[in-house]
Amino acid sequence: MTELLARLARSPQGALGLALVAVVAAIVVAGPMLAPYGPDTMSVLTRYQSPGVGHWLGTDQYGRDILSRLLYGARATVLMALLATALGTLAGACLGTTSAFLGGRADEAIMRTVDAVMSIPSLLFALLIVNLLGKSSLNALVAIGIAFAPGMARITRSVALAVRKQDYVSAAIARGESSAYVVFREMLPNVVAPVVVEMTIRVAFAVMLFATLSFLGLGAQPPASEWGLMVAEARRYMHLSPWMILWPSLAVALVAIAFNLLGDGLRDALNPRT
Amino acid sequence: MAHTLEIRDYTLDYATPKGAVHALEAIALTVDRGEVLGLVGESGSGKTSLAWAILRYLPANAIERRGDIRLSGRDLRAATPAELGAIRGRRIGMVFQDPGTSLNPTLPLGEQLAEVLVRHRGLTRRQAWREGEAMLARVGLKTPADMMRRYPHEASGGEKQRVVIATAFACQPELIVFDEPTTALDVVTAGQILDLFGELQAETAVASLYISHDLALVSRVADRVAVMHRGRIVEQGEVGSVFADPHEDYTRHLIAAVPRPDRRLVPAGPTAAVAPLVEIRDVGVRYGRPSIVDSLLGRAARSVVGNRAVSLTVRPGEILGVVGESGSGKSTLAKALTGLNRFEGEIRLDGRRVTGIGDMDRDYRRAVQIIFQHPDSSLNPRQRIREILSRPLEIYGDSEGRERAAAITDLLAQVQLPADYAGRFPHQLSGGEKQRVAIARAFASHPKLVICDEITSALDVSVQAAVVDLLVELQRRHGTAYLFITHDLNLVRQIAHRIAVMYRGDLVELLEADAFDSPRHPYTRTLIDAVPTPAG
Repeated sequence: MTELLARLARSPQGALGLALVAVVAAIVVAGPMLAPYGPDTMSVLTRYQSPGVGHWLGTDQYGRDILSRLLYGARATVLMALLATALGTLAGACLGTTSAFLGGRADEAIMRTVDAVMSIPSLLFALLIVNLLGKSSLNALVAIGIAFAPGMARITRSVALAVRKQDYVSAAIARGESSAYVVFREMLPNVVAPVVVEMTIRVAFAVMLFATLSFLGLGAQPPASEWGLMVAEARRYMHLSPWMILWPSLAVALVAIAFNLLGDGLRDALNPRT
Repeated sequence: MAHTLEIRDYTLDYATPKGAVHALEAIALTVDRGEVLGLVGESGSGKTSLAWAILRYLPANAIERRGDIRLSGRDLRAATPAELGAIRGRRIGMVFQDPGTSLNPTLPLGEQLAEVLVRHRGLTRRQAWREGEAMLARVGLKTPADMMRRYPHEASGGEKQRVVIATAFACQPELIVFDEPTTALDVVTAGQILDLFGELQAETAVASLYISHDLALVSRVADRVAVMHRGRIVEQGEVGSVFADPHEDYTRHLIAAVPRPDRRLVPAGPTAAVAPLVEIRDVGVRYGRPSIVDSLLGRAARSVVGNRAVSLTVRPGEILGVVGESGSGKSTLAKALTGLNRFEGEIRLDGRRVTGIGDMDRDYRRAVQIIFQHPDSSLNPRQRIREILSRPLEIYGDSEGRERAAAITDLLAQVQLPADYAGRFPHQLSGGEKQRVAIARAFASHPKLVICDEITSALDVSVQAAVVDLLVELQRRHGTAYLFITHDLNLVRQIAHRIAVMYRGDLVELLEADAFDSPRHPYTRTLIDAVPTPAG
């Protein structure tokens, strides 16, 4: 693990990604403690303020401190995106590994279904699911998870097919192990590395997708300080106070870039040939 | 006159994140016109690094400390890239292990051969093409004109290696470097390539550096031999004197490890009178299933035969050798016996009938264990040795808790590994140690039959000897029967009681080990003739 971090830190993008993700993680964990104000503390006197001494990033239409809202909102956005990606990855990895293990007709059936689902754009698919389940953060999380699962299944399957050919899998089958044992104990631990890389890059998409769903009013609901929702609310006041829309947009972009860089760095660090 | 190849005091390191690794140290050797120098050593001894150094294809992290490499007096280390381009192919030829990767898959074989002639000998395309055909005829290809137009995937491994050899000899170079040229080929094909090498060598009087891990082979093809060990040449001299009277301990150790058919390692086996342990009756395996499109259109499945109605018996406590080239169905039989492949026919274990994978219950699986060829892939890299060994104990259930820890220690002791290896991961073990763990795993269930599928072919010769000794020792102690699958005839004749010869999915002959020299089937004859036995 320490060796992996050392390898990661050696490439510039890996190091930058790691540093940015560390900052994001710190904000997710300690954000509310760092925030100078409460996320919902309103003040009529300080509405639409530009960045300044009292409010570093300015205030919104109710006089709420934007920096504090961003710090609180990190959990609602980043943590939710992480959970959604984890859900999608777990489901996809299990599906892909099982498909590779079963092979034959079952594999064919699973993968063609995955193809069919993947042909629907993930945003559209997530919208569909949220509409079926109802508007809430939790449902948006589930929707993103389900939308990501087929892609992860496809990637996991390609890795698992190589693992399937390894002799330790044959040895387990020859020993008379159950299919579940072979899939979960022998195969799954060996497909983790490339899947983690893919998952890291997907987090970036999940952050944007989650923000998009909230922006469209299907994810987090007011008065939550979820970043996409903040952008949606600020849109109406764009001409009055452009700062309001700039900061949460920047935050989403920054987190997406951070995870993208980390994912690229991880891919290089986990590749034994570099 | 200068030697064709002269290397003096050559020392090479590789820079790695963990510091410099010494790859070659104070290498000194010469090869003269018409001479074959055999370079032998185990994996990691630096043989291939030396070949790259001579060809000036060193990786970016190579650091050449000192020494020089001269081709007919010309210092290759001082040559510019452009000069090297003119030297490689023209004055130094090369033949590598895998003909599949040394040829460009997108160009016809003739193009690749003619290109060399155009570039280095200044022929026109038409001349080069004609010359290429003549070369292919010379290397024993039956239809050279046709072969020139084929793509690499349309030629067999042996044919491709002949084309590579033709290319290497095409410009009448002074020196040719052969790096394990027959290792990737089948026994019979390898034998033919060796004969061809001998003829061309005698005809052209080229200086050859022949790199191989196979001592028996080198003792047959080389005039002089250099033995490498950990980046140094430990011994060098005439083939006859080095093999007959080695001076260094390492050389002696290496030569002693080479399997010799006349040195039997096992006592006489059980006679035909005892009831057989396993009876294999008409077992056949087909690969391939109908695709959805095929079944929709009602087309028959295009299946490939892996085995055709193989029948044989294994007696209790017997070592039954199974030999044949790749694709002969040896491993397919092993997979059928362990339930990894569907099969037709029946298997009887101690009189119990097994006609399909469904019949293979816990008792059957406990009695029949398998060890695979590649130690790297037969142990799960994410599990510690303890987990790997405790699993069979767990599912064939005869020990628990503290008893199980003791059982693992005992298993490790049986394969001569220290008890603290239980806490290690496979990547912390060497190839030979990993194979010992795989053996321990197979013996954990007290099996009656252990199928050894080429289990020594990925190992170095000295490690192979130790693993074979261990197998013989375990066999003596437990009375386990082995189905010992290998392509190494010398090895199988050392340890097997009976030998089954397979060819293209058929069992062609089953011989007592002492009758192996007088086979009835012509294929067995070809096989025996193709294998070099160690000199001396």
